[in-house]
Amino acid sequence: MIEVKNLVRTFKSGDRTIKPVNDVSFELEQGTLASIVGKSGSGKSTLLSLLGALDKPTSGDVLVDGVSLAGMPDGQLTRYRRRDIGFVFQQFNLIPNLSAVDNVMLPMEFAGIRKAARAERARQLLEQVQLGPEKHVRRINRLSGGEQQRVAIARALANEPKLILADEPTGNLDEQTGEHIIELLSALSRDYNTTILVVTHDRALANKTDRRFRLQQGRLTEETARNRAAASLPG
Amino acid sequence: MSVLARSVGNAFRNRVRTAAVVAVLAVAIGLALSMLVANQAVTGKVAELNASVGTVLTVNPAGGQGFEGGGEPLTAAQAATAAKVPNVSSVVGTKALRLRNAAAAAAEAAASQTGQAGPGGQGGPGLPGGQSATSVTTSLRAAIDAGTLGNRNQSSGTTGGTGSTSQSAPAFSLPVTATGIGAEVDSSGKALQLTQGTGLGNYTASSAGALLGITLAEKNNLKVGSTFTIGDKTFTVKGLFDAGTAFGNNALYLTLPTAQSLAALPGELSSMIVTVNSMENVDAAKTALQTALGTDKADVSQGQRNLQTAVSSLDSVKNISFIAFAAALATAGLIILLIMVMLVRERRREIGVLKAIGAPNRTIGLQFVLEALVLVALGSAVGAAVASFASGGIASALISSNSTTAAATGRRGGPGGFPGGFPGGFPEGNPLGGANQLLTSVTASASPGVIAAGIAAVFGVAIIGALVPALLTARIRPIEVLRGE
Ligand SMILES: Nc1ncnc2c1ncn2[C@@H]1O[C@H](COP(=O)(O)OP(=O)(O)OP(=O)(O)O)[C@@H](O)[C@H]1O
Ligand SMILES: [Mg+2]
Repeated sequence: MIEVKNLVRTFKSGDRTIKPVNDVSFELEQGTLASIVGKSGSGKSTLLSLLGALDKPTSGDVLVDGVSLAGMPDGQLTRYRRRDIGFVFQQFNLIPNLSAVDNVMLPMEFAGIRKAARAERARQLLEQVQLGPEKHVRRINRLSGGEQQRVAIARALANEPKLILADEPTGNLDEQTGEHIIELLSALSRDYNTTILVVTHDRALANKTDRRFRLQQGRLTEETARNRAAASLPG
Repeated sequence: MSVLARSVGNAFRNRVRTAAVVAVLAVAIGLALSMLVANQAVTGKVAELNASVGTVLTVNPAGGQGFEGGGEPLTAAQAATAAKVPNVSSVVGTKALRLRNAAAAAAEAAASQTGQAGPGGQGGPGLPGGQSATSVTTSLRAAIDAGTLGNRNQSSGTTGGTGSTSQSAPAFSLPVTATGIGAEVDSSGKALQLTQGTGLGNYTASSAGALLGITLAEKNNLKVGSTFTIGDKTFTVKGLFDAGTAFGNNALYLTLPTAQSLAALPGELSSMIVTVNSMENVDAAKTALQTALGTDKADVSQGQRNLQTAVSSLDSVKNISFIAFAAALATAGLIILLIMVMLVRERRREIGVLKAIGAPNRTIGLQFVLEALVLVALGSAVGAAVASFASGGIASALISSNSTTAAATGRRGGPGGFPGGFPGGFPEGNPLGGANQLLTSVTASASPGVIAAGIAAVFGVAIIGALVPALLTARIRPIEVLRGE
């Protein structure tokens, strides 16, 4: 279970302070598939980076199964990122001079998994995200945006994380592949009890999630059955 | 894909830049290795020169060094006096004999009607002034034929008219130098290099054994165990030595008492080889020795006077080459440092990615250190090739510029500075000779061992150079992953 308590992240730009995450609190049960929508610049990526321990909050705390990230030393934060988190970045952030398989194997290497086992699993994952076998050994910078997106998703799944944080995972995919990725994510949350938090602009994807959040100027609100009607009104 | 494989891959990510970096590194590493090779060669040479003759003084009878003939011969009592001088660690007496081949001597006598070669004996093996060497006949034949100098020297005492020279010249043969020695050293105080057989055991007792120069033995078809005669006595070859020079090998050694009795001059010495306990005490010991023996009785000379100048100039080459080695090494380290700092900055975002997906700091640091080592390995390979071609040239450039000054100061040592009494002389007596020898040993010592030591030093410096940027990666935070390029 993940608990977010009064999370705040402020940035100073010049003499102005911006608060992309402003007093955000929520809880997610293990195995929940949740989505966050919001305008560009509303703070979605910033919030995910705090949950994934890429960044430290200005104030507030994140508790993972009751353990606070706030007081954790850097070494343990690294371990948390490696074992418990799968991150799908908005800009993929794959290592450009490595092959697709090598990229997917990286988190497993850091986790100390044997080479043969990680190669095997990497190929399985790439097949799951429907990347053709002939592209497994191709260097990342020779793959299309959509293909890179799928490699990024496969990499996030590599260490069977408890929590997957996906920043626009279907943004570069055609409808059909996007559809498939959504199926994959909901299957993970259902079958492996993985908690998944997806940032998306894709209404269809958002509608398939168990819980839907909206981020507006750093403030998070949940769309309940009652306010959903209002939110889906045009405008 | 392992850390190492990733590092190798990263090293070749930008081939043009990798080539440029390797080229610059190769120049620095090549220079460092060349300097190390030069330094090792010179260090070895200096040690060798110091060890061989650096602390040896030679005592000759007063006036014995010139052409004029001398005063009184040296005695065993004087050797005892010399041994009591402070800082003197050993005194070895020698007694030199000129051996003439019996048949050749008879032929010469018949041709020129003079029984003996005259006092002009300082040619060839270079006995001091001739006066302290006694001529004895032998069954041995000299291993070398007299050259122009030899003929001139041999004939100077016998012929007045030029007409007879051309007629009698072919009859002359060089004498063989027999030296009685009080220890197993050659006349310059260096330990004898025996190539076969054994030594003579106790050098202060009479013995029918002899040590022969390899060429002399070869000329006379003698092996260890063969016999020959000197005067009316029969000697057995106990061992063969290699003095390294043609004239030096046309010689034989006997025990001191044997030589003295052959000359019928017991207790008399041709020269004394005095070894001083350390290089620093040589000058003081020389003065003390001269005082103790008396200037009218003995001349104390320091055979390596000239050599010392050469050694000190070689010392400066040694220092220069070491500084250059250290500087080139530091340059290689600096190149690595700057390149790696640049690469770390350039790959900031990628380092952020690795951290975001859970790479520990040490894995990332190691990856960068290994990448630096890959570059250094390439640079070393090219640099070693550069060094193997350049080190000879660099070393000789360094040494020739120095040996010119060494030669100039060496010659200022003045006439008579060379004690003539050394069969075979000092090959190093001439500083230019020393430098030339050094050059040969420079090429000889560009050994894999030295190169390997140099490359190890390069790697050591590279690791230090790469450690700084590697530690910088620890400070990059995973959030860099979200920053734009
Ligand atoms: N390191 C930073 N320094 C200053 N401002 C920042 C920093 N990171 C983010 N911001 C600002 O915080 C705000 C939220 O950024 P964030 O990337 O979270 O938006 P987003 O909701 O993910 O937008 P998008 O949908 O376009 O990805 C933006 O105004 C951004 O400019
Ligand atoms: Mg974003």
